[in-house]
Amino acid sequence: MRLALAGKTAPTPIDEVVRRYPDVPRLLVIKTDVQRRGVFYSDAALALLDETQHQTTGTHIFGARDGLIALRPESLLLRDGSSIITTPTPLEENPYVVDAKDGVPWLFDDGIPLEAVDYWPAPDFYARTSSSGVPMKNIVSARPQRLNIFPYRYCTFWNNNKGCSFCDIVSQLKKGGKELNIPAKLDPREVGDVIGEALKEPGRFSSVFLTSGSIVSGQEAFDDEVDYYIQILHEVGRHFKAPKFPSQIIGTAFTKKQLQRLYDETGLMSYTSDIEVLNEELFNKLCPGKAEWIGYREWKKRLVDAVEVFGPGRVNTGLVAGIELAGPHGFSSEDEALERTLDEAEELARQGVSTVFIVWSPRPDTPLGDQKNASLDYYIRLARGLHALRVKYRLPIGFDDYRHCGNHPDSDLSRLLPY
Amino acid sequence: MSLLSSALREYIQDRSAVKVLATLDGNDAPYAVVSPFLQLDEQGHLVHLELLEKSVTNRNLLRSLWFDRKISVSVGSYVIKGSPVKAHISGPVFRRYYEQVRCVLDDADLSCVWLIEPEEVVDETYATRKQQEEEQFPFSVHLDRLTN
Ligand code: SF4
Repeated sequence: MRLALAGKTAPTPIDEVVRRYPDVPRLLVIKTDVQRRGVFYSDAALALLDETQHQTTGTHIFGARDGLIALRPESLLLRDGSSIITTPTPLEENPYVVDAKDGVPWLFDDGIPLEAVDYWPAPDFYARTSSSGVPMKNIVSARPQRLNIFPYRYCTFWNNNKGCSFCDIVSQLKKGGKELNIPAKLDPREVGDVIGEALKEPGRFSSVFLTSGSIVSGQEAFDDEVDYYIQILHEVGRHFKAPKFPSQIIGTAFTKKQLQRLYDETGLMSYTSDIEVLNEELFNKLCPGKAEWIGYREWKKRLVDAVEVFGPGRVNTGLVAGIELAGPHGFSSEDEALERTLDEAEELARQGVSTVFIVWSPRPDTPLGDQKNASLDYYIRLARGLHALRVKYRLPIGFDDYRHCGNHPDSDLSRLLPY
Repeated sequence: MSLLSSALREYIQDRSAVKVLATLDGNDAPYAVVSPFLQLDEQGHLVHLELLEKSVTNRNLLRSLWFDRKISVSVGSYVIKGSPVKAHISGPVFRRYYEQVRCVLDDADLSCVWLIEPEEVVDETYATRKQQEEEQFPFSVHLDRLTN
């Protein structure tokens, strides 16, 4: 098959957006729209899935848009090496379709073939079982170049029902625990052992990533979460020669003292704390647990504090883009949402904090599950805007780029930057 | 049928032959580097092994793939024009080349395996080009060469 011709077929609805933004690659527009609309796998596409070679769904901390746990490709790789992290979506919601063409999976929109895609390759350790008898992939999972550790699959903000309005961590835990034999809380020693197995595979991984739900308990709030991360990072760190190794955590917004401990006592090299939405009023409404325990301004202050600890270009925050437009309290127009979001992102960038976004995919078991996400045009403008801030303030994003995460259209654009 | 003659294919596969990869940067300025691992894969793609993620060439290849810009590879007196069509960063293909690089270069890393689709081959062998030039452009020949 001549891959060079793969992208050149009949015009599709995305072509209008591609024409409007000539500085944005077509592949990135496709990726963003697939994230926005989700995918549906045809039977022929599923027949190409081979569990011994490909990663299949089920290991993730958050759920799918169709609410099912079933054997499907974990995600897709495009031919520029970037990933499309997307969720299976019912056909009635007009998703892209992955179907077989010439014996390989292709993305289709309305019957028009767009791009050949690869299913994420399964790492060697996925075939193995841990010392406690759990499949290793249920302890540590993988992205094309990243090892994912989800040490705690519960979030204590849900204790008083103040979890984020777009989050299905708790319902996913219930399903995952029952159907997949995934432990809710991981044993650090076992995590370390699995990481050791994973690292035996040559050329596969270039970073270690941790995230869990927030744990409010401890002498100071969130001390238990920090302690737990430190225990796990110690176990991971025993496999490396140097005290620091490429790694990222998405944690709660910790105090400077907690951040300093994380940095000083572990090999951690970068820090992310997701503010989810860049507007105080919306943050209070959509992330009530974060608002109750930390507060919007304090969250931002702690991000800036983290730059002093981890260094510029090593700290960022994530947005679930689209929630700022959802529901009765959302911004009334995409123009306003974009302007207000980029203004606040710039205030953070000026202080060394990058902002990245994921495309919000409304999930059924969440309060915002019946809402729609934003337009493709909006997401492309947001990606360009956040990328432009990284250019303006010279902020590297190597720890959260297409290789290490793959979920941020804006950091894909930053691949062309020399830093 | 492959665009590349069997002699050219053999030359490309010769590890000791120098191969130069020329790309365009964001200002359309050419940027040429030696590609020491350049080889062919089973499907006839030129394979460039890019060791460094932030190298100018890696970023230029990405720009080419994203925005449909040509690159060229010079092998001996041949110039092969083409397009990067795929970047492998993970999976069995990546691993095979990763191990190849690590066998040859001590403590090397591999960032991307670039597949380049050859689209045109230009024979720049002097004797061939001279003959073509003299046939097609007889007015650019110096007369002193034509005297008795
Ligand atoms: S902080 Fe919010 S998004 Fe994160 S796990 Fe808790 S409820 Fe979910």
